[in-house]
Amino acid sequence: MTTSSKWNLAQGTVVTGRWKGGKYVVQRLLGQGANGIVYLVKHTGSARLYAMKLGFDTLDLQSEINVLKAVQRTRLRGLGENRNAPYLVEVDDYTHHGREIPFYVMRYVKGEALRTFLAHKGGQWLHVAGLHLLQQLRTLHEAGWAFGDLKPENVMVSPSGEVELIDYGGVSAVGKSIKQYTEWYDRGFWNAGSRTAEPSYDWFSFAVVCIHLLAEGPLKRAAQQLPQTRSSNDLLLIVQSDEALSPFRSWLELALRGDFRDTLHACQAWKKLVTGPYIARRVSAKTPGWMVGAFALSLTLLGCAIYLSLRF
Amino acid sequence: MKQIMLITDGCSNVGESPVMAAALARQEGITVNVVGIVDYGTIGELGSVEIEEIARAGGGMSRMSGTRQLAQTMQMMTRKTVVQTIQHAVNKELRQILGQTDTAVEDLPPDTRSQVVEVIDELSETSALEVVLLIDASASMRPKLAAVEEAIRDMMLSLGARQGTSRIAVFHFPGAHSGEEAVMDMDWTTELTGARSIFQKLTMRGATPTGPAILKVMEFFRYGTLEGHGSSNWLKESDRGEGMLGDYVV
Repeated sequence: MTTSSKWNLAQGTVVTGRWKGGKYVVQRLLGQGANGIVYLVKHTGSARLYAMKLGFDTLDLQSEINVLKAVQRTRLRGLGENRNAPYLVEVDDYTHHGREIPFYVMRYVKGEALRTFLAHKGGQWLHVAGLHLLQQLRTLHEAGWAFGDLKPENVMVSPSGEVELIDYGGVSAVGKSIKQYTEWYDRGFWNAGSRTAEPSYDWFSFAVVCIHLLAEGPLKRAAQQLPQTRSSNDLLLIVQSDEALSPFRSWLELALRGDFRDTLHACQAWKKLVTGPYIARRVSAKTPGWMVGAFALSLTLLGCAIYLSLRF
Repeated sequence: MKQIMLITDGCSNVGESPVMAAALARQEGITVNVVGIVDYGTIGELGSVEIEEIARAGGGMSRMSGTRQLAQTMQMMTRKTVVQTIQHAVNKELRQILGQTDTAVEDLPPDTRSQVVEVIDELSETSALEVVLLIDASASMRPKLAAVEEAIRDMMLSLGARQGTSRIAVFHFPGAHSGEEAVMDMDWTTELTGARSIFQKLTMRGATPTGPAILKVMEFFRYGTLEGHGSSNWLKESDRGEGMLGDYVV
């Protein structure tokens, strides 16, 4: 049966693997996902830091591990992703008060959740983080998976804007049903399509994440409507009317409608959006009104000066 | 795979014991899950004990939920029950293969476990599933029915995304007169479209005949499979499911 009781591991607890005997010392709590609790741990042999996820339910955690393994296989094969450290380090069980708790050990990513990151660094960093995030999704999609439960809390950003998706508990193979989702970011919640795992499901969630980060008020109001009347039109309306979203308008519309060819296309469109017209707009916007006025005044003065000097 | 999802906010007060009815359902290979709705005030000591007992007898699980989390709760329970049903069957097979009496998926070394769970996941996604939603529509539930209906629509959306055939039917209880224990609001369906309200034949009655309503739904299950509703493909699939269920039913 399910082990639904929650347990707390104090700092300094040594977690020893039942099968492989790996020893890890708990440093502190990192967070909690739908399938388990994540701790920062130190491997006793190498003194290296890792993140360790202890699962509430053996089966749920094992499906998550299976996904991680499959994604890792394609990552290693693929050329695009050239990360030095493997994501999944070890899988084992921990005997805690006579009960087996399944766990896996993964690479520890130092960083902040997307929302905190943007609050610290400023909203324009969404351009960088967004692109990295889309590239992560692209790797996943091209390997035949959809992330599913995409939300700001599941996106960790390093200080340089590199993105790591955490909590693979909601990842499903393309064509299957979405296992986990969160209301606002869910296509079904907005009556905008099925809960089938496919790239367009993630595009939609990504778009709502952007709206949530930049225009929280209007999104909240739209989400509070009667469920029957909620639709993706409400989101499109926010995208079209909200000033904060204007740089992303065209991209968000395509994402909400699921109109990209594939995630590569979505990446390219995002790149174009944040590099091309952005610079042009900056140049044109650089001439403020007072400068125009001053220039006109100086011209007049010059005219007067010439007139006067010619006159006398 | 067959499930009854009972949604109620209080205690039964008429007819056969719902715990007994749930135990019978389990013997027929139907898992009974119970959601207790706790929006306004509490559900009461007696109510919450009964809810737990019904679920235990029915081999399912029970949860308390407000109307806001209702959709999520129902889907989580349905999904978990599917996985558990398959897990029980797999555990049974494992015991036979390994010849040990207490082996379960959890006891396997991680590498072997990984393969077994892959099979369980695949079966959970592809096996045929039938869920009857049995809604308590006694007077106190009335203000919550709109939320219940919304949760049902949401659940159908999730089930519709599964690769296996999924269909649901909706019943409410009590009926218009004392002889009518449960009323069918919707026959087996694989998708919910249109804005038509699910609950239309509601009548005000104070009684809560939970037990008799469960028995009535069991009859519906029996009729549904015996009389051969749906395509032959569906029948073949549900036959296979029954064989597997037969293994683990105690």
